[in-house]
Amino acid sequence: MGNVNATPYRVVPGPEGLLPPAATIMGVPLPEEGEGLVEGRITTEEEALEAAATAMLTRKNPTLFPGPMIIWGWNEHTREKAQPFFEVANEIPGVRIIPMPDYRPIYPKIDPEAVINPCHPNLTIWHNKIEACVLIGVHCHYANITLKMIRAGTNCYTIALCAEAGHEDAMASVPNFDAEKVVRFRDALIKVKKNGIKPLYEGTGIIPSGWAQIAKLKGEIPIKPREASIDGEARGAFSHELVTGLDETAE
Amino acid sequence: MSLETIKPSPGFHNYLPKEYQDLIEDGPFHQKRKVSELGSFKEAIEEHPMCAGCAMTLFIRLVYLGLPSLEHSVIVGTAGCGRLAITQGAVPFIYGNYGDTNCVASGLKRGLDIRFKDTPKDVIVMAGDGGLADIGFHAVMHSWFRKEKFTTIMLDNEVYGNTGGQESGMTQKGMVLKMAPNGKKFEKMDMLGLAKTSGVAYTARISPTNPTKVVNTIRKAVLIAREVGPTYIQAYTSCNIEYAIPTPKVMDDAREVEKDRYGYLEYFSDEAKEYWDKSEADRKKARKAQVK
Amino acid sequence: MKDGAKVEDKATHQVREDDPRDRVASPPAPTPEKIEEKKKGAAAQRIVDPDYLMIDAPREREFITGSEAAKEAIRRANVDIAIAYPITPQSETMQQVGYLYAEGYIKDYYRAEEEIGVMGAIAGASRAGVRALTATAGPGLVRGIEQIASWPGGRLPSVLLVMCRVVNCPLAIQPDNVEISYLLNCGGIVLHGENQQDFYDYSVAAFMIGEKPEVTLPVAVAVDGFFVTHARGWVNMPAEDLKLPPRDCYHESVPMMDNENPPIRISRDAPIQKSNFISYQMHASWQQEVFAAQERAKKWINRWLGGIIEVVNPKAKTMIVASGAAVSQSREAVRQAEELGLDVGLIKIKSIRPFPAQELIEATDHAERIIVPEFNYVGWLAKEVKSTIGRNERVIAGPRVFGGMSMPTELIMETIVGSKIT
Repeated sequence: MGNVNATPYRVVPGPEGLLPPAATIMGVPLPEEGEGLVEGRITTEEEALEAAATAMLTRKNPTLFPGPMIIWGWNEHTREKAQPFFEVANEIPGVRIIPMPDYRPIYPKIDPEAVINPCHPNLTIWHNKIEACVLIGVHCHYANITLKMIRAGTNCYTIALCAEAGHEDAMASVPNFDAEKVVRFRDALIKVKKNGIKPLYEGTGIIPSGWAQIAKLKGEIPIKPREASIDGEARGAFSHELVTGLDETAE
Repeated sequence: MSLETIKPSPGFHNYLPKEYQDLIEDGPFHQKRKVSELGSFKEAIEEHPMCAGCAMTLFIRLVYLGLPSLEHSVIVGTAGCGRLAITQGAVPFIYGNYGDTNCVASGLKRGLDIRFKDTPKDVIVMAGDGGLADIGFHAVMHSWFRKEKFTTIMLDNEVYGNTGGQESGMTQKGMVLKMAPNGKKFEKMDMLGLAKTSGVAYTARISPTNPTKVVNTIRKAVLIAREVGPTYIQAYTSCNIEYAIPTPKVMDDAREVEKDRYGYLEYFSDEAKEYWDKSEADRKKARKAQVK
Repeated sequence: MKDGAKVEDKATHQVREDDPRDRVASPPAPTPEKIEEKKKGAAAQRIVDPDYLMIDAPREREFITGSEAAKEAIRRANVDIAIAYPITPQSETMQQVGYLYAEGYIKDYYRAEEEIGVMGAIAGASRAGVRALTATAGPGLVRGIEQIASWPGGRLPSVLLVMCRVVNCPLAIQPDNVEISYLLNCGGIVLHGENQQDFYDYSVAAFMIGEKPEVTLPVAVAVDGFFVTHARGWVNMPAEDLKLPPRDCYHESVPMMDNENPPIRISRDAPIQKSNFISYQMHASWQQEVFAAQERAKKWINRWLGGIIEVVNPKAKTMIVASGAAVSQSREAVRQAEELGLDVGLIKIKSIRPFPAQELIEATDHAERIIVPEFNYVGWLAKEVKSTIGRNERVIAGPRVFGGMSMPTELIMETIVGSKIT
């Protein structure tokens, strides 16, 4: 309760441990309009966008996580964000677009190449070895719990481009993120590249992720691949005495 | 407007997971689906963890088919097996506290009516016999007395299935179940009689043996609730685990129980009857006019 | 209510009409003609900026009861639905709110079956995206607490007025704020008003604080029953033709359950349980988020309540820390102490959740003694203070009265002086 720490809390890529505190409780404030938040400190909006752009260009497997409020064209504001969203994607070589279409607990398990889910967002980060990501169009409650879980167990640099008040639990965040600010993020990407930041995956476009997306983007009919069967040798690699049974003759 | 929520923003369609692409391209939203089409289109309900052969699951799939307006429906549930499937449905689902479905639905329906004056919003409570007849009993009864305009569907498996097979008020007398080690001491609660007494506009008792009948009954109940007053459907949805019904015999059991004590029953209040007859006649007239 | 039966309460120095402990008196219901006339007033209300209504608008002073102050707050709060269930000493307010409904200030209103029914219906209405209000007291609060404790996790903004009385048994309807201790760990915001003015101000602010997107939480506004609800005090209020903007439900931290906003598969209250397809960590993170949201409310509490704490004589070596009606008693003790030449200060805690931890640490840092007077047996505020500040041997956990007793200022004075006052 309250900021009782003498040294300011830094919100940096994890893994931070089993259960990191909510950054708010550690005294990290929310940015006002025109401001941004970088690693727990208030900056200008421009600085935050540039920090976010640099992370997305220089860290491994950068990924955009569009949430329900941008994926679904339910009102004018979401539809007008769609085009600049893809313009942002086109400025990040080697970026993946993995959606968070809903928040339900997906049964029996998620396909980490196809979706990210707030019930266990770390699975998608781990599977794809994502080291920089952007959450956009995710309802704040789900964004916050997702951001904390990512910080807990992964080394991913999280960026929250929030249509409301912003997110303390992200490493970089800008509030009131409307279509115009999405354009500004695109411009920040162009600017940092111009200023000498060399993209890690220069020359690569958007990398399709997940079997359905890969097929669709190629214009093919998506057919779910069979689950890869585990051959004998691989099975052995994961087995132990409880699978094979205890050797009763062993001493 | 709400069909807009299943239209992807420009450019996003191809990035969606397959189940959403299917729901958009071949789902129940943009065209009305019939029982005969089951299995040939993308249903509202996604993969779920219900037990194999569960009659309740079949019934829930039929409910989604029977809802007259999927895009304007909200389902309210409580603890129990059913919610494991309903959570995966493409209709907003409220999982509240224990036995609070009909209080939550009362506030929800009134709230929606304040905000959407011209679009009827259908609220459907779907919960188990324990949730509605035991822990949620007072809330169910009072929502009926107050004439709250929503549908209550009881998934009656005559046992607390989700907590591992305890006796409920809807269990038959004499059944030996957990917490009734010497057999249940009192009769199955007469919720249908209570519904009638408390002024429910439309009441139906049904078994899942005839899918078309289930779909039609659901539709009727939701439409009457929209216009007239509270409606109640009590459906026999056996628990094959706790009652040890072999999976392939689940429908045989349903047919037997239907014949024995769970036959189709309908009750209309005068007002509901008048409304329903008139709206059926109107629909017939409209169909005829279309043919011409 | 008996005419002219004005009694000055010796404990609170507030003027009461009649003795409220015997029966709950209320003004007569308005006549149909009067309702028609009032409807014109409802229709003529205009929406103003929350800052204007709460801070800048010119105000006029009225001498009214706490229940009437709450009614006036609700009149200006643009409430969509109010759900009532009677319990002393709350009934007075919710029946007044009923008249507001009849006059067209509120769109829907009903008397529900009991508190589980009320609190559940509030949860439903809040999920529907409308502005919802209810009120309760003592046993009613405890009855509804399964629901109330689930509102914050559901991220359900709504307002709950709590007119504190004891929790049975034995039965009593007297003021005693033990029930606030039951609210402390629910996750919602809990404000504790000192007097009629606070009850008005906090109730208006509650809606706006709870509906902020980064907060999205229910807000309970508690006052001590009878001392505040049934006694009159001066209340400064802006004109009654002003009201707050309506709830802006698509700008909150969760989707609405109206099937008009994405995602279509909303299981907003995901049943998180032991299973292989969901992480325990989600529930942990969810809980953290609720309490983080409380903390974010501080900004708005500071703005609209004029600070989360109020400090009188900030440099005094003896500081009293109090909330609710105990603040009024403490103000009088500070005055009497001054007459005796004693240096005593006062910290009024306006918000119990979020608790003003840092503010309290700073405001008590210099103090040698910290006295915490309370209107309950358990001493929940003293526990909060002790677990928050350093060198907590400075805290004197008392004096305390309970079971409906009033708190003579002498009790506080004796604690200050350290001996009986004769």
